[in-house]
Formats: sequence, C-alpha cells, structure tokens
Amino acid sequence: MRVELQVIGAALRSIADEMGAVLVRSAFSANIKERRDCSTALFDLRGRMIAQAEHIPVHLGAMPDAVAAVRAHDPRPDEAWILNDPFAGGTHLPDITLVTRTGVGFAVTRAHHADVGAAEPGSLPAESHRLDEEGVVIPPTRLDEEVLDALVARMRNPDERRGDLRAQLAAHSLAATRLDELCARRGQSRVESAMDELYAYSERRVRAAISRFPDGRFEGADTVEAADGSELELRVVLTIAGDELELDFAGTAPQHDGNLNCPLAVTRSACYFVVRCLADPDTPASGGAFAPVRVLAPEGSLLNARSPAAVAAGNVETSSRIVDVVFAAFGQAVPVPAQGQGTMNNLTLGNDRFTYYETVGGGQGACPDADGPSAVHVAMSNTLSTPTEALELAYPLRVERHELRLGSAGAGAHRGGDGVVRELRVLEPCRLSLVGERRTRGPQGASGGEPGRPGRNLLNGEELPAKVTRSLGPGDVVRVETPGGGGYGRVRNGH
Amino acid sequence: MAILGVDVGGTFTDAVLLAEGELRTAKVPTATRQEESVLAAAAAVGAGEVGRFTHGTTVATNALLERKGARTAFVATDGFEHLLHLRRQDRAHLYRLCAAHAEPLVPLERCHGVRERIGPARVIASLELDSLPDLGDDVESVAVCLLFAFRDASHERAVALELRRRLPGVRVVASHEVSPELREYERASTTAIDAYLGPAVSRYLEALAVATGGAGLPEPLVMRSSGGLATLAEAAAHPAVALVSGPAAGVVGAARVARAVGVENAISLDMGGTSTDVCLISGGEAGRSSEREVGGLPLRLPMVDLQTVGAGGGSIVWHDAGGALRVGPESAGADPGPACYGRGGERPTVTDANLLLGRLPPRLAGGLELDVAAAERAFGGIDPAEAVEVVNAEMLRALRLVSVERGHDPREHALVAFGGAGPLHACALAEELGIETVLVPDTAGVLSAIGLAAADERRDSVRSYVCALEDAGELPAEGEAELRYRGQSFELSVPLQPDLAEAFHRAHAARYGYADRDRAIELVAVRTAELRPGPALQLPAGRPLEETGPKRIELEGATCWLPPGWVGVRDGTSSTLRLTRQSRDRAESVK
Repeated sequence: MRVELQVIGAALRSIADEMGAVLVRSAFSANIKERRDCSTALFDLRGRMIAQAEHIPVHLGAMPDAVAAVRAHDPRPDEAWILNDPFAGGTHLPDITLVTRTGVGFAVTRAHHADVGAAEPGSLPAESHRLDEEGVVIPPTRLDEEVLDALVARMRNPDERRGDLRAQLAAHSLAATRLDELCARRGQSRVESAMDELYAYSERRVRAAISRFPDGRFEGADTVEAADGSELELRVVLTIAGDELELDFAGTAPQHDGNLNCPLAVTRSACYFVVRCLADPDTPASGGAFAPVRVLAPEGSLLNARSPAAVAAGNVETSSRIVDVVFAAFGQAVPVPAQGQGTMNNLTLGNDRFTYYETVGGGQGACPDADGPSAVHVAMSNTLSTPTEALELAYPLRVERHELRLGSAGAGAHRGGDGVVRELRVLEPCRLSLVGERRTRGPQGASGGEPGRPGRNLLNGEELPAKVTRSLGPGDVVRVETPGGGGYGRVRNGH
Repeated sequence: MAILGVDVGGTFTDAVLLAEGELRTAKVPTATRQEESVLAAAAAVGAGEVGRFTHGTTVATNALLERKGARTAFVATDGFEHLLHLRRQDRAHLYRLCAAHAEPLVPLERCHGVRERIGPARVIASLELDSLPDLGDDVESVAVCLLFAFRDASHERAVALELRRRLPGVRVVASHEVSPELREYERASTTAIDAYLGPAVSRYLEALAVATGGAGLPEPLVMRSSGGLATLAEAAAHPAVALVSGPAAGVVGAARVARAVGVENAISLDMGGTSTDVCLISGGEAGRSSEREVGGLPLRLPMVDLQTVGAGGGSIVWHDAGGALRVGPESAGADPGPACYGRGGERPTVTDANLLLGRLPPRLAGGLELDVAAAERAFGGIDPAEAVEVVNAEMLRALRLVSVERGHDPREHALVAFGGAGPLHACALAEELGIETVLVPDTAGVLSAIGLAAADERRDSVRSYVCALEDAGELPAEGEAELRYRGQSFELSVPLQPDLAEAFHRAHAARYGYADRDRAIELVAVRTAELRPGPALQLPAGRPLEETGPKRIELEGATCWLPPGWVGVRDGTSSTLRLTRQSRDRAESVK
C-alpha cells in the first residue's frame, strides 16, 4: 500500500510539474515563457496544498489563501476563477491566480504578468501609495470570455495578456485530464488517500527536523528602505518548542504610505521558506510541511497590511528582508548562512507598446560549510534570466553587458557569491521603474565573515536611488550592479 | 554480407558478428589505444567480409564525467564572456542555498570577449579581430559563441578562422556549427562541451579509420546520441552529437530484447565499468529529448532520453571529507582496473566489492582470474556490502527519475539489465522499486553492440526558418515542422502536410486546450530524416535453465546475481533469462 501511495503521490507531483511545463511552453510574455515566473499546484478538497511545481518560493506559502478565497464562493467543477487582490487571496497585483475545481480538489496557477494596467508600465512602480494605483484589482471572479476580454482591455498589450491567461487555462485543462486519468486508473479514494499521505508525510518530516532544534526564544531585526528614504523596521521573535515553532512579528513598523507593505500570505511564505531551508530542504512540497509553523503579525503592520495599502514591492523586496530577519533569529539557535543579496533588483521598462520586467540575481551568502554561489536569486525568487537573444527579438532593448560583478562578494573562511552587472540600452522612449534594496548597507557576513558590497543603480553612468522611476530616451543605458553575498567565518591566514 | 557491431566502453570493448543466422560475440579489455581494441574485438569474432560495420563509444561521456577533456578556452561577445558562469541565474537547489552547480568546463581566466555585436536584425558593431586576446600557449581547444550567431554566423566564422590561423593544431568550434539555435547559454554550453571533448574523440576516430581501413573493414558508421547513425567524418567533426552514442545503442538493444519476449514497457539498466545509464522504453520505443544535462551541463541536441549516473563496476570506493562513503565518479577504468584484476590497481572498486560478497566467480568467463586477496587489501576496513548499497542508491535515484517522477509506475515495467555489472545489481534495485520482473539477455555483456548491429540507419537534418509560415515557401513532402504562435518560445512538432496551419491549430488545441486561428503562426524549423531500417535480429535460443537464489549465474561477458527469494528461468525458446520474485514475503525478509 505504501508503495502505491508513493507512486500516486509522485504522479500528483508530476501533474503539477506538467501543468508548469504547459504554462511555460504556451505562454507569450518573456517573464513567463523565458523566466518561469509562475507556479502551479494541486490542492485537496479541504483546501490543503498537496503538490506544487517548485518554481518560485514566494508563491509556495501564499497559494492556500487564493484557494480559500475561491472556495468561499463554492465554485463548480466546470468553472475557472481568477483573482489578484492581495487582500482576498493574492500577493501583489501582477501575480494573477487562476483556481479551478477538480474531481479531487483544486488546481491553481499563479503567473506574474508583465503589466496589469497601473499608471506606470509594468505595474511594479517604485512609488505608489494605494493599491488601486498599482493596476487592476481583481477580487475572486468567475472567469469567462467576456470577463477575460474586459480585464485585458484594462491592461497594456492586451493580446499578450490574453495569450498568457489562456496558457494558464491550458494548464488547468491538463490538470483536469490528468487527474481524471489517475482516478480512473487508481480509484478516486486511493488518490485521496495518497493526498492525505503526501500532506502527512511532509508534516512528519518537518516536525522531526524541528524537534532537533534547541527549544528557546530568539529575536531578529532588520530594516527595509522606503522610496522616501525612511527606514522601516522588521522585528521577529522566534519561539521553538518541541516539534513546533512560532514566528511573531510584533514590534514591526506599521504599514506605510509606500508599497513595501505585505499581505500576511507573503509574510507566511517567507517564513515557510526559511523553515524549509533549515529544517528539511528535501521535503516534498506540500502544505503539511508548514503545519507545525505559526506566523503572527499585527494587523495593520508592514507585514499584515490592511486594504487599501500599496503592496507592489512587498512581495519582492520586503519578503527578502523577512527571510533575513527570520534567518537572523534562527542564527542564535542553529548555524545559518550569511546574508545573500537581499533584493530581487526589479527592473521594468515599458511604454504603451511593450512592457518588459526582469529581476536580477546576485551573490548568495556563504554557508557554514560552503562558499555562496554567484549570480543567483537568493531567497523568495528563483526566476531564470531572459536570454539576451530572446529579449532582443521581442523588445526594443539591447543588452550591452551581462557579467559577474567580480570582487563584490564578502570574504570569509567561506566566501560569499559575487553579484551581477547588467546593462540594458533602451531603443525607444519608455519609462523605467527600478526597485532594489541593499543599496547602502551590504549583505552582512556571519560568524566573522565580511559583508558583501551593496548594489548600485546607474543611468548613463550617474548613480540613481535604490527605488526610482524615470522617463528614458533612445540610447539611454541602465546599469544594475547587484549586491555580493556575505562571507562566513573569519578569513584564514593567507587570504 | 555479415554485420559487425563494435561498442567501445570505458572498460571493455564488445563485438557482435551476425553472419548467416549465426551470432558470434566477443569482449576484450579496452586498451589505452582504443582503435586497437576495436580491431582486437573484430578479430575475436572472426570478422572477415563485412557489409555493415557500426560503432558506438562512451569515450566522450567518460571524458566529460571524469573531467578529462581538453584544456579549453571560451570566446564570447565582449561584455558576455562570463556566459558559462552566469548560467540562467537559478540556483542549484531551491532550499539548499549553497548547493553548487557543476563547475563550468572553462574556468573564468580562460573566458574572453571579442568586440563585435550582431543584433536580431543586423550587425550593430563590426568585428574587431585585433580585440581578440592571446589565448595562451597551453590551450588545446576553443569554443566560440557570439550573440545571434544562429541567425548570422559571419562574425563567428571570422573569429574561428582567425583562431585557427593563430593557433594551428588547436581545435576551434563555433556555436553555429553545433547547435544553431536561439538561447545563447544553452548553445554556448553545447559548444563548450563539443570543444572540450573534441581533441580526444576526433584523435580517436581518425586513428580508428586508419586502423579499420588497414584491417579491410568498411568505414564504421558511428551511433549518434539520437539512436541514428552518422558517418565517421560527421562524428569526428562534432563529437557532442555522439556524446551518448554507446548508451543510445544499449537502449536500442534493450528495446529489441524486451520486444522479443513480448515486453513493450521496460526500463533499461546499463551498468558498465564507469557509468550507468537508465532509460524508459514505452510501447517498444525509447523516449527522445532535444535537451538534457550531461554531468550537470546543458546539452542541446537530439538524443535518446536517458539518465546517466557516474558510477559503474570500476568506480572507486572512497571516503569524502565528511567521512561519508562514496562511489565514483572516478573509475579504475580498464587499466589498472579493479584491484582484483591484479593489474596494479590498489584502490577498492564496486567490482571488488561484488567479488568479496561472492557475487562474482573467482574466474571470469573471459578467463580472467580474480585476485580475492588484492580486493581484500584494497577494501581494508570498508564493508563491501555498504559500498554496494551506496552505488545502488545512486542508481535508484536515476531509475526513479525516469519512471516514478515522470508519473510512470515502475511496477508496470520490466527491468532490462545489461552491461558487465547490470545483472549483478538488478534484483536489489527491482525490489526497491517493486518491479517483479527482471530480464537479463544472454548477451547482457554485449547488448550495446547488439543494439548497434540492429540499429536503423538514420540521418536527421534540420533547417532553421524562424519566419511566418506563409512566407516559408515550398517545404519538403515528408518530415516534421516545428511551429508556434508568434510570440511563443516553444514549438510543437507537426508532420509536414498540405494544410500545415490547420494541423498546427489542431495540435495546439490538443496539447494546450485551445487554438487561436487569428494569431500568426511561425515556422521555426523543418526536421527531416532519412531512414533505412536495420537488419532483423534473430538471436539463437539459450539452453533451458531454472535456478533459485541465492545463486550466481554466469553469462557470456557478464555475471548475474540472483538473491534469495528470486528465481531465474530460461525456457529454451529465447535468449533471455526472466528473473522473478518468488514471493513478496520472502523478498521482504531479505531486505
């Protein structure tokens, strides 16, 4: 029986993976088809996450809220539901989520769309103050052709948006087909048993891992920098007790007038990510892995914002900082890596004709037993780079330079990873939005390791702020230098 | 006319000769000069008048996995010289933050830029050949990958020409020659692999041509990774196309053997001296793919869809810095070989472990006396059973990947075990996966050579278009078109036919659930293949046999280990041993 459940469980995971492949392969925008900024998952009837194609960690812990939001509407099996409202199951507006009922639960796709109709092309503005400035807000809505047409009409490049949404729908029809086949072959009740077992298995593994951590109360604190230059503090208290743990963000700054705010779903995702790294990195992705983890954040704070707060950068930047503070708290109990670049370096270029969005990798912090890798996403993202050739075929942009930022890593017994230098020349007038962090203080080392170098943004050689919006003309060159990772341990003699 | 298949492995060279309904096989140790092994193996089967001579080699695979290729430099467009080190920016493991990717084949200090730039539509900056730096005296091979060379290869051609002028005798490979397709990182990686393997493989193939010509054999056809056959010149020019040639031949052989006993769904397990390959066979056909990782590096070429593990019979057993027992990827090879071969090997190998566990006879079928005392000395305090467990765990990962993790239930498949060491490990692996049936061909030791002898002659060609379908002009009558909606990045293969557009819409609807007849369709490439079916294969039946484990069954060129709880039957009508678990309970108690 156990082998059979294992086989069905693997089949469920491969359905989630195949959904992801269908979405990527039939999508139209570079952000989905080349960078794979999307996730797909299967849930059971109780709304528990059972299997996920592991693309993007920030999507991992946040999808259950989307299913809960749709489940409340009691959807029928032949319906597809759409949402992006961060205060009703979403994360930030560009992440559009589709939910369908399946024979044994729910199928979910989430994709980061290159534009959702904000004032700034790309819908990742450096400065926004209210949610409705960041694009079209979609509460859970039943999706049909009419709704789809109306939605994409309010966004830039509606044809590309429609193509990407159809790609999401394609993944859902694949899930329905594959699940029907699986149930026909194995019997629905066995498939359901396997779902229970997948959830329970991950939970058992993570509980066992947590119980090996020392019990106690540990604290962490760090800041994010708002576009107006003010610093917002994140505080966390970690309590480890037996095979469970709690992360309480009491004392964190209240929600602010900018867009670094997070809905609680994003905060949870970041916490789950750290637990997964430290407790059991190889646990199969299911909601069970997070059953022993409780996340609390005061309502109305930066990490549990209330409507109508702006949230565009919370999902990408504040989430990176949550990872840093949670690692910092854990660091007093167990060995943790030095800080990685701590930002996704969000770069958006666009006008009424095109929108292009990318995030840029940097240095990973060194680990107690290994150097930090260079030129990778370090925390809540894992998107690929857009191949230069694919980028230039599709957009009026030219990549002038893409290389390692040698020397940016923090030294140590184990050195951090190097950041990246990326230069893009724009070939027609467009708007630039740059949203980055770690531009003044570099990622910190651990156990005596040196910090990595902070990042820099430049326009035609002149330094820009960490978060900035600008109008660009043909020939302008944007250069992003991403932070290096911190080193681990004191530099040994001879270094 | 007789048919000759010779497969050079890292440890042994196998030959089969099919002449007038008779099968002759031979296995000789692979010598340092492998062309000599080919001749020796051909002579051992008495090859005389040969009509068709097919050849497979794992030389390239082993050189890559063991990182014993050429000292290679890399030249890219200035500003992009770190291409091989930047990869695609994703990390090696989502939650193991410091997990390392495979080290690039070219270290940073040998990665160089040349000033030039081609864009999607035109040359943006002309080529400045004098910006090409001195690559150093010790470079043996150079890979060149310039942006957009898949569309306009003029700069790449000029750089390659200049490098060949400056560095006579150094191999130079340009990306458009190997993989003329969009996406610079994957193309660069494929080119670097080709350059890295080039000197060793082409030296070998050139020497082979001389040697076999001298022996009166026809020029060999070389197995490509795709399962089709290439001319020797084609393979020598770009060894990357033959990177998994030997393993591909093994899969072809496994599929033939399984089909002969009525099994259409199987997993092939080919464990040789240095590496192990597994492949899913569905409906009698090996899975195919157009891109895979080899040794952690992307390779974009048409291939049989198999997974390779850098561990085989000759793999060295060792303790890592953390004290964990490890097996491979370093191999004792054929020379000195495992310690028990008595040729001066002092380090313990998987073969030594099998000998110490009584799973290998003291004298191999080929006549080699095994030195138990030498194996014991090599193992020192290490438990050989633990070494076997470690190597089995490595192979299980690959077996799960091609089956369970792709949604195929291994229990609905047979395991076809071959290669010198496959039949020693197969039953233990089958038990772990719940597989009830293991097929071991009598020719297990030479199955890749059987696959070579039986392989279809197939020449694939591809023509790149990347234009609107209606502007493509006349297309060949037969073959496959790679089509997509304009704006997509991935194609669907549609057989060439009169109304190609409608066929694509239908294929898209079938695959993705919708068609958009208002969207423009782009023709990316047309693939055509010239196919000549290989000869029918009638293998002589073996003598009837029924054995109960624990038992060692000696085959020609391989030994099969039947653990307790297993029975092995050969019914006298076929040339394949069928191993089955006697009872589940018994098998459970063995574990």
